[in-house]
Amino acid sequence: MASDDFHRAALEHLDALYNFAMYLTRNPPEADDLVQETYLRAFRFSHRFQPGTHLRAWLFQILRNTFLTFYRLRERESALAEDGVPAWDAPMFHDAPEESSGAVEAHTDLERALRRLPEEFRTVLLLAEVEGMALEDVARVLACPVGTVKSRIFRAKERLRGLLRDYTKE
Amino acid sequence: MSHHSPESDDALGARLRTELRRYSAPAYLRGSVADTTQTPRVRPVWLPPILAAVATALVAVLVAIPFLPRILPADPTERLVRSVVAEHTRALMWGARRPESVPTALPWLTQESGIGLTKFFGGDDRLVFVGAEPVYLEARRGIALYYRDGDGHLVTYTVLPAPGLPIPESRRVQIQNRWRPALMSDDGFSAWVWRQGDLACFIVSDMVSQADIENFKDYFARLRVSTEPVPATQ
Repeated sequence: MASDDFHRAALEHLDALYNFAMYLTRNPPEADDLVQETYLRAFRFSHRFQPGTHLRAWLFQILRNTFLTFYRLRERESALAEDGVPAWDAPMFHDAPEESSGAVEAHTDLERALRRLPEEFRTVLLLAEVEGMALEDVARVLACPVGTVKSRIFRAKERLRGLLRDYTKE
Repeated sequence: MSHHSPESDDALGARLRTELRRYSAPAYLRGSVADTTQTPRVRPVWLPPILAAVATALVAVLVAIPFLPRILPADPTERLVRSVVAEHTRALMWGARRPESVPTALPWLTQESGIGLTKFFGGDDRLVFVGAEPVYLEARRGIALYYRDGDGHLVTYTVLPAPGLPIPESRRVQIQNRWRPALMSDDGFSAWVWRQGDLACFIVSDMVSQADIENFKDYFARLRVSTEPVPATQ
């Protein structure tokens, strides 16, 4: 795929990637950073993309890996900070259940419940149900077998249902 | 708040698709991501070593250029001019190898160079005689006389045996309605070239500007009038 064609095709998925980033980070500035970093990496490593495979899944995979990389960095940094080591620059992303100052509030029970799911469950629902990805593509994004995707979807929905029931009782 | 039954998988999937807010990328993000596509392309891995090798070779060539043999011109006159200029440059940088005072050394010079001087210009108010020496250029024995003018220009008068050496007509310059030597140039130096019998005569200096050339004509006239080289066998 020619470079210009690749760029054009990749940009067609910008809205979907941003939506996914928003549900991962819950914070617009961090979602911006995540999407920018995703595209930067995608363009830098475009020669690794195999034409004929699903570009959309490849981009989502980069975005999720980028998110997890910075999330793990944040986890490690927090642990060091608690030990009294001076903190360095703020991390790009976080996945803490607490709302940060710039976080977008959940408006519905469904959003609130989704937020409380672990990242693996949240991601699998967002990709399979919201983005409508084929199970094979979801498996590629998550780097796991299709069977694992199916079981995660099942368990994620179970958890979601339980949370929604709790909200109904409240 | 919910309008669907949470029990069904399909219903839950439908709720996720319809009830969740859909975030669209802001315009500024679209712009900045599009700008990212303008970033320089990744260089092929083989390119940096090749560029480094080319740069090294280029530097090596530049360093070696002064020491490389120059391509000799096919024209015999130009080839002789080049040799005479090279000898002039050598004298300019390091002085004459064995400067001799003429006429005391004339017999020795004649013997070594194969050129006799029936008349000899020993200098005047414009040109000071510096020295003389035998030379060997283009497989020909000859003689070189060195002068220096008031501005510090070194002027070299060289005589070599060269029967039938062609003098390029297009380069000829009329001087005092008496002589028509050719004015040639090589490596930033000017050279008068003419023939006297079977001898080729050259006067070389670094006088190249229009004003310098007028002086250079004058030097030619002074040397031409006062110096008469002949083959030593005559």
